[in-house]
Amino acid sequence: MWMMLGMMPANSAPVPEELEQLLLGVAAGDREALSGFYARTRTAVYGLALSYLRSGHDAEDVTQDTYLKVWDSAGTYRPQGKPMAWLLTITRNLSLMRIRSRDKVVDMSQEDWNMLAVESSDVTAEDRQVLTAALYGLTDQERRVVLLHAVSGLKHREIAQILEMPLATVLSKYHRALKKLRDLLEGDEPL
Amino acid sequence: MTDQELERRLCTAVDHAVPDQLQSILSRCEERKGTVIPMTENTKKNKRRFARMAVAACLALLLVGGGAAGVLNMQANAVASVISLDVNPSIELQVNKKEEVLSATPLNAEAEEILTDLPLEGTDLNVAVNAIVGSLLRHGYLDSISSAILISVEDQDQARATRLEQSLTTEVGTALQNAQSGASVLSQTLTQDTQLDTFAQANNISVGKASLIQSIMGLNSALTFEDLSVLSVEELSQLAEAGAPALPVGRDAAAAAALSYMGISQADARKIEVDAELDEWQPCYEVEVEMTSGEYECAVDAYTGEILWGNKPNGSTGTNTSTSTGANTGTGTNTSTGTNTGTNTGTSSGDIGEEKAKSIAYADAGISASSATNVKVERDWDDGRWEYEIEFWSGSTEYDYKISGTDGRVLERESKTHAVSIDSMITAAQARDAALAHAGLSASDVWDLDVSEELDKRTPYYEVEFKSGGVEYDYEIDAANGSVLRYNQERD
Repeated sequence: MWMMLGMMPANSAPVPEELEQLLLGVAAGDREALSGFYARTRTAVYGLALSYLRSGHDAEDVTQDTYLKVWDSAGTYRPQGKPMAWLLTITRNLSLMRIRSRDKVVDMSQEDWNMLAVESSDVTAEDRQVLTAALYGLTDQERRVVLLHAVSGLKHREIAQILEMPLATVLSKYHRALKKLRDLLEGDEPL
Repeated sequence: MTDQELERRLCTAVDHAVPDQLQSILSRCEERKGTVIPMTENTKKNKRRFARMAVAACLALLLVGGGAAGVLNMQANAVASVISLDVNPSIELQVNKKEEVLSATPLNAEAEEILTDLPLEGTDLNVAVNAIVGSLLRHGYLDSISSAILISVEDQDQARATRLEQSLTTEVGTALQNAQSGASVLSQTLTQDTQLDTFAQANNISVGKASLIQSIMGLNSALTFEDLSVLSVEELSQLAEAGAPALPVGRDAAAAAALSYMGISQADARKIEVDAELDEWQPCYEVEVEMTSGEYECAVDAYTGEILWGNKPNGSTGTNTSTSTGANTGTGTNTSTGTNTGTNTGTSSGDIGEEKAKSIAYADAGISASSATNVKVERDWDDGRWEYEIEFWSGSTEYDYKISGTDGRVLERESKTHAVSIDSMITAAQARDAALAHAGLSASDVWDLDVSEELDKRTPYYEVEFKSGGVEYDYEIDAANGSVLRYNQERD
């Protein structure tokens, strides 16, 4: 029996061995194992989906679909020490399919974002500021790279594999993204 | 704010924003409970890529009949070793103990093409192998990073087999490296096995490939020799690495599924490339299709034939009609089919091209092409469409555009006027030299040298970073006059 766990602390990457153990449980049909897996990984999945879709509703749908896919195909996962990469590849693929199924990206407007922030009591003014900067101040690729690193705890090499980009590009986009975020949050001050 | 603090803030913010959907997910899972596939417990981690190849070689050794001398004998001009080279073309070389080629036999139609006009009999084995690798490369094999060549040495003399295996692996590896091919070289030694020989002959494949197939059948007994023999060495080695959970749909079915999804007929495709990725986290075939209107790609699930993701020409009504049975059950049944029901009506389905995109941006900015300087163009596949990101300067104004590659719409525009015109700014090379001069170093003294532009700041500057003598240097050089605005030195 798996213990229900609370939300993982921010910036704490899930332990691969623990996730693989949970996936074994999911493959055997253990719903508690899926709950534990969800608690440890949902921020990363939602963050990546949001970075592709920039729509809260679509990101929620893709997050749900990701875990249903995990439920269905945990049996095909081969333990290689990279469960996060496997999981986020599923999220990426579902996000791309979602984009493909609609004519254009439906941006989450500033107003929508503020509404979401109001609905979710956990989102602070500081959270809203940093999320707005990430969603509107970065290019699509910069946003994905920085979210995968900051929220999912993936290494740059793993990000390069998931996003199918050269490692050097990932590194330069990551540094540029942080610089832009800093400028946006602190103000673009001259030297 | 440090990088770590920024990351922490971002992570916390997403953490707070993510809604709790667990109950909703669990309620939907219950409906699907019947489809759960039990997982075979396999807790091995970080398997080495060719660990299973070693198992295959050992298996082959165990299968040797005790007194089977047979074909291989040690007379001067008799066959001492049999070398097989498998990619998809399969070639068998018989050599004497002087390592001269006695015969070169193509084992399938593709191999006949490879050996055309290659007189290999009587040549040194290394020369022959080099010639074969060259011909394989010329015919388009071994050009993808995931492709592989399997070298098998069959010899009763184990010491000689091992030595030959090592020298051939080095020879082929060097030839591939010289040709800048990223293909893998797999190798194994075998001793004669009558049963394996029979299987190999019956299926027109080499004994080496037969041995690899045998090892995969040891991982999943539901897979049959006949089904596996049509797969390439690349697919087989990846399948072994992945633990052979089931029979992959194969390249042809993957290509058919992709074309169906894209709504493209095979006749309309200029080029179709299928790359097996069976040992990836989500096993798939990546299919790239080149048309006159552009390039399209998609990933096809390796075991179900389902489209995982992809892009297709605008206006295409192609659908994913692939069906498959036996996925993940290892029944070895491959009935994946792709039906092309699509019609490509997208006349502007490719993209408008770089020049057109630039002219749209210049017109929107109200400048002529000749007045644009420092022009940078990047084409990205983003959000389900081609986009051009175009940056340029005109006088002291910097422009940043995003143009839709599909219809030329201006998606984003941004302009900033600076105090200094870009024409009067120093170049990146001059900024680098200014930083090096300040540090008292020359370019040959440093490594990890990186110069990045920060010309959109109120005080435009170049950031110059490099390392030397255990110290990491970081400079900001004024783009207007080359003076040092700020610098920092830290122990590397």
